[in-house]
Amino acid sequence: MRWIQTIPPDVKPSLQKTMVDRLASVVGRDAVISQESELVVYECDAYTMQKNLPTAVVLPATVEEVVQVVRVCNELGLPIIPRGAGTSLSGSVLAVDGGVMIALTRMNRILNIDVRNRRALVEAGCVNAWITREASPHGLFFAPDPSSQPACTIGGNIATNSGGPHTLKNGVTTNHVLGYEIVLPDGSLKWLGVGPDGGEDVEGYDLRGAAIGSEGMFGVVTRALVRLVKTPASFKTFLAVFDSVDQASHTVSDIIAAGIVPAALEMMDQVITRALEEAYKVGFPLDAGAVLIVELDGLPGGVEHQAKQVEAICAKNNAREVRLAKDDAERAALWKCRKRAFGAVGRLSPNYVTQDGVVPRSKVPTIMQFIREVSEKHQLRIPNVFHAGDGNIHPLILFDERDPDQVKRALLAGDEILTKCVELGGSVTGEHGIGAEKIDFMEKQFTKDDLEAMKKLRAVFDPDQRCNPHKMFPGAKRCAEFAQKKQVAV
Amino acid sequence: MTLNPESIEQLQTQLAQAQQVGVVSLQGVARLVEHVPEDMTATVEAGMTLAELQERLARGGQWLPVDPPDPGSVTIGDLLANNLHGPRRFGCGTVRDWLIGMAVVLPDGRLVRNGGKVVKNVAGFDLCRLFIGAQHSLGVIVEATFKLQPLPESEAHLAKRFDALGQAEDCLEQIWSSALQPVVLDLHRIDGDGLTMVVSVAGPDADVAAQADELKVLGFEGNASLDYDAKYRALPHTWESVAPGKLMGRLKQLESNFVARAGNGVIYHNEKPSAAGGNPGEFAVLERRLKQEFDPENKMPVLQRK
Repeated sequence: MRWIQTIPPDVKPSLQKTMVDRLASVVGRDAVISQESELVVYECDAYTMQKNLPTAVVLPATVEEVVQVVRVCNELGLPIIPRGAGTSLSGSVLAVDGGVMIALTRMNRILNIDVRNRRALVEAGCVNAWITREASPHGLFFAPDPSSQPACTIGGNIATNSGGPHTLKNGVTTNHVLGYEIVLPDGSLKWLGVGPDGGEDVEGYDLRGAAIGSEGMFGVVTRALVRLVKTPASFKTFLAVFDSVDQASHTVSDIIAAGIVPAALEMMDQVITRALEEAYKVGFPLDAGAVLIVELDGLPGGVEHQAKQVEAICAKNNAREVRLAKDDAERAALWKCRKRAFGAVGRLSPNYVTQDGVVPRSKVPTIMQFIREVSEKHQLRIPNVFHAGDGNIHPLILFDERDPDQVKRALLAGDEILTKCVELGGSVTGEHGIGAEKIDFMEKQFTKDDLEAMKKLRAVFDPDQRCNPHKMFPGAKRCAEFAQKKQVAV
Repeated sequence: MTLNPESIEQLQTQLAQAQQVGVVSLQGVARLVEHVPEDMTATVEAGMTLAELQERLARGGQWLPVDPPDPGSVTIGDLLANNLHGPRRFGCGTVRDWLIGMAVVLPDGRLVRNGGKVVKNVAGFDLCRLFIGAQHSLGVIVEATFKLQPLPESEAHLAKRFDALGQAEDCLEQIWSSALQPVVLDLHRIDGDGLTMVVSVAGPDADVAAQADELKVLGFEGNASLDYDAKYRALPHTWESVAPGKLMGRLKQLESNFVARAGNGVIYHNEKPSAAGGNPGEFAVLERRLKQEFDPENKMPVLQRK
């Protein structure tokens, strides 16, 4: 069953042949995918509510090949859609109207770990976690740590300005990418920001910063120079157990208000901890209302001192138990478990949709209460696992897609939660992006003039709107059709 | 033409009508809109001075972790338009790392907001980064929202004198590869002071004390000051930026006085800057389009380079 019927690529057979021949002449026949049976792999990302086949997928092996592919697409008037590992959660790599998908997965090398300058030069298809794996023997790591980090690529991280649990203290992708090489939609090759051997202050406009988080709409990133940071000397990772989400929420606010910036501050409610316990047997109490993972890092003295403060704050909020991870292995197990939470939810429900709203941190208790109300009103289970310290919520709305009424209620519940986030002074997306999914929310969060200004920036990089079209902005092609079809199971 | 609006609305009218804009003074647009310590964020109008903002934030035990020279006269607008920074940028980053939202008046008078007041937000394109350091060439930032940090429990500045750059280099490498987490890592050669390395540590009392002790073992002495930075940079100077590992090589070529952010590879000095610091820079087409899109009538000042 599929919600959006696959739209046949709107390409005439003669053009199809010309296209495949031209692309094959650049990357070789083996690196061009144009058979429908193989294209299906590329019909969506981890947001599966909308699907469509690209016209073709190419798998270039070099920067020069990417340049040539983009030029061929220009000549033939075909849209291009850059793609990494396809782990994005908002349909940002959906080929809405066909087009040539440029998958960077073959360009996945780490080119240099520059220990003295604390930098790594990598190809765009390099997997996020590989950088830390290679850097850690030198006492360094790459800070952005999305849950998909064993699979997601650095090019995708740049496109979505990825976050992760540890962005609370360390910042997001834009804070850790010094510069990158990008093939613009006109086929020109640019290096934005700090060059591989360059100094960190760059004259002129911050084009690097302007294009991070542009969701693949400004060009195809091919190589990146990322910042590495020193591995903290010590860690303390707590699991604090509470009877209620409310107690856990207030603990989060109190920790921040006490002037403590933990490395990470994550919350999981009862449904999530039960699902995780069932799947991985890590020893979560099954009757706890909510648990917090609080990680402190830094020099030993300060960590020790803050740990005492955190324990006191947990006690004040009636924590039932505060467990300390006793070694690196226990700490790693806890994080592995946290990052697999979405997967474990697959055991609870045939389908779920994840939201990614953000509220000011002090509004976490308010939004959690609101989610409970929405859950009751629509008679849907909505477990929560999220970056509480950042106010970045991830309610998982569980439903069964075989029941059209549940589908409708799930979509409605998601809309209500995100609308509330905006009302509370927040945002509809903290790390997943707008993509094809949240286009309708842009007008709730921004004025027409705000959106016009964003379009001006797009016109700088892609005046013809050929790169990853039909995303982000209201009125995008087929948007109405998608919205209509979303309601109807096909 | 100098603009001196009393409100954001007035600036919108003035910009819409202006043919050429020179200086924009925002003394009339200088309120602290909101500081929510529990959220660790603050929204401020661009005419407020940095010193005043810091003073107001300190009442809630927080600060905006940037320290450019002359905070008493630098406004939030100046800070953002010129991406100003000081010695603590090694540990705290620059204002690019702390701005989470802004309101800007475009040259045609339209008020545009970007980002927001939450610390994580990827809705829409990032114009905040674009406007930092863009001077007033694309529009005028009138309001900014920052994420903040708790004021450190304590901070210590330590210094050590050297006779020769070679000795300073050895010491720098030793600190670089140690477990120390300095907030400032500077090297300067100023008349009277000689060649001096300055290291600051900040944070929980226990960490500051432990790190200061470690630095003393390396020959550093406490109670140093960071005044040299503002003093040196108040006089005519130029700057350049090299990869941190190339800093010493470059300093050895200099005969003039200098102040160097040794951890960042940024040098302020009085000689001719060497050729570009390794950063590619052919953006004529993109920059022309940028100006055309945001300032089609070309009424705003041209972006100044060194």
